[in-house]
Amino acid sequence: MTRPGGRAQPGPREEGTVWNQGSLRAQRLRAAYLFMLPGMTFFLIFYLYPLIQALRISLYEWSIMPGQDSRFVGAANYLRALRDPIFWISMRNTVLYTAVTVPGQMILAMLVALALHAIPRWRVLFRTLYYLPVITSWVVAALLFKFLFHSQSGLINYLLVDVLHLSDHYIPWLQNPETALVAIMTLGVWKGIGWSMVIFLAALQDIPLELYEAAALDGAGRWGRFRYITLPMMRPTAIFVLVMLVIGGFNVFLPVYLMTGGAPMHRTETLLTYMYNEAFNFLDFGYGAALSYMLAILIFLLSFIQIKLLRRPMEL
Amino acid sequence: MCQPKAFAFRIGIGWMLLALLAAACAPAAAPTPGPSPTPVVVERVVTPTPTPKGPVTITFWHAYNPEETKVFNEQVLPAFHQKFPNIRIEAQQVPYDEFRRKLLTSIAGGTAPDVIRSDIIWVPELAAMGALEALDVIMPDFNAYKEKVFPGPLSTNLWQGHYYGLPLDTNTRLLMWNKEMYAAAGIAEPPKTIDEFLRVCERIKALGRDKYCFADGGTYGWAVLPWIWSFGGDLTDPEMKTASGYVNGPDTVAAYEFLKGMLDKGYLHPGILGGGVDTAGGFARDEIANLLEGPWMPAIFAAQYPQKQIQWALMPAGKGGSISVVGGEDIVLFKQSRNKEAALEFIRFMLSPEAQLMMARAGQVPVRTDVIEQAVQAQPYFALFFEQLKTARARLPHPNWPKIEDLLTSTGQAILRGEKGAKEALDELAPKIDALLKQQ
Repeated sequence: MTRPGGRAQPGPREEGTVWNQGSLRAQRLRAAYLFMLPGMTFFLIFYLYPLIQALRISLYEWSIMPGQDSRFVGAANYLRALRDPIFWISMRNTVLYTAVTVPGQMILAMLVALALHAIPRWRVLFRTLYYLPVITSWVVAALLFKFLFHSQSGLINYLLVDVLHLSDHYIPWLQNPETALVAIMTLGVWKGIGWSMVIFLAALQDIPLELYEAAALDGAGRWGRFRYITLPMMRPTAIFVLVMLVIGGFNVFLPVYLMTGGAPMHRTETLLTYMYNEAFNFLDFGYGAALSYMLAILIFLLSFIQIKLLRRPMEL
Repeated sequence: MCQPKAFAFRIGIGWMLLALLAAACAPAAAPTPGPSPTPVVVERVVTPTPTPKGPVTITFWHAYNPEETKVFNEQVLPAFHQKFPNIRIEAQQVPYDEFRRKLLTSIAGGTAPDVIRSDIIWVPELAAMGALEALDVIMPDFNAYKEKVFPGPLSTNLWQGHYYGLPLDTNTRLLMWNKEMYAAAGIAEPPKTIDEFLRVCERIKALGRDKYCFADGGTYGWAVLPWIWSFGGDLTDPEMKTASGYVNGPDTVAAYEFLKGMLDKGYLHPGILGGGVDTAGGFARDEIANLLEGPWMPAIFAAQYPQKQIQWALMPAGKGGSISVVGGEDIVLFKQSRNKEAALEFIRFMLSPEAQLMMARAGQVPVRTDVIEQAVQAQPYFALFFEQLKTARARLPHPNWPKIEDLLTSTGQAILRGEKGAKEALDELAPKIDALLKQQ
């Protein structure tokens, strides 16, 4: 802060700069908190309050009528879940859904991203097309898939039986738990590819070209460049996508609710659809809240473990 | 100087964790509206609120089908508004499948509608919950209406000594048979007994692989109970104390074995296993020969399949007789309503001969004994419904019916899919229903 012709000392303050450095920081902090206030308020009212309230409900045999007494039952709702066969079915389905749709989405999204990255023209158009399912309403997409997988008049059965002759009878997709889950997972993957693809594509475009040039000079082939440059450079992005998709996978609700509603015999139930059914069909809000808390704890632990295990020091 | 930075960083981490938790719970939190933060003061008005001076609005939810909604909006509502210019009815059509859930959510949030047209099977649950106003207490002229309506539908409003509503319409399921398919199979008359029904099915199936004798949408109570009762079986004893010996009794087992046999022989459309079956469309396209259907069908067919004729017959009789299931709706008033006097005027109007006869045109069977003749004159097919209603029975008027029905539905699926024998599956079901009957 030396001025030409002056001594290296704090000069006379210019007009308007009445704050020293410290109070400027305080001012900035105040502004930052002020900017955080609306979001924080929203968070407190619409996330934290319901979270705490749901925890409370989960410890009661909750009565939904305003003004009526609810009975405190402690951990009974949680223990009940552990003994509930449908809880375990819905747990299995949720894990299965996540285990299938997360790798499915990531691999397909990566392939699409690589393909789009490689084409010189029409990239924006194709990116938009692949992204369309993401912005399509779950309700519309689920009803569409319900029609596609309809036993008698669905397009899938038409293709399998009447065009490709792979089967001699129509498959009752949504009637049987196993095939219904296939249909639901197909929807989950189809709808999710675009989101991961856009993120992968952005990460691909961020990889410095020099790295590839240097690798090419060192004699790396296509596969070598992918294996030793693209993949490691994409790692932080892939971990982020993985964590987000696992959270999303465990939260699967609308495709199941709309395509099967957990039927037949609760065999296609997932944790959230079962929670919803218990709370809103049977008014068992205590049990429903306990179920959603178990899911929340599970997701929290899983996400924590994933970040702990996969994160490297230089990455976030 | 790094203190604030580290602090900010820690806040940042904390935020991320919270946000993560929030993200994890977001969809869970969305459909779970906790009880409203400020408990809504429930008006416990026993004496009716004074007649409103200024214009008041009454919200009314119903699940009328499109044909019925049209008549309701274009005839019933204008007539009411003309008679009571100070009362505005804000009618909302809520799809049946969403109705109960939406209602329960709004009750919990303290924003229940004033009046609803409730399926008769929801009234015990709503009354037990304390959501409904007892009409025999707050309606001075309740007895005048009580005497005018059929006792069966009226009884669906009774819960622990009080009437929590008035019947609005009644119905039951009759055998709707397809004359063209019967003719093609060389059959002139509809079956009178279940044995005859099976013979009809045999000949219908001979028409082709994709021709079905019968179809239904699932194994819920509305679908299976007519068969169970007509076979002589039941779900519980008459006092609803025990299911053991009833739901797993020999006649109930026989009814399920009959349905399983129908499915195995291809008489029964596999849509009963789920995945959706267009019963009306299949009937209209001559793919389905018989349905069990209600009095709303002629209006629906007139609008959607005008070229197709409908024939009606009584439920085929078995060992237990020809017993169908009673359906219908009650009109009930919520305690949360702020304009009970106006709401009662609307209830009175909906039970007036005028409104009852208007809705009868859309296929709603009236509940007033004094308009029956007129209704039957206008809709001759009502006569057979009244005949069937003489023996028809109601689903369990028990607050736990939704849970019982859920178990019943799953058990029916397990039997029809051949995962369990009928006797074995029903033996497993009985103690579960017993437990639900005990808790109120």
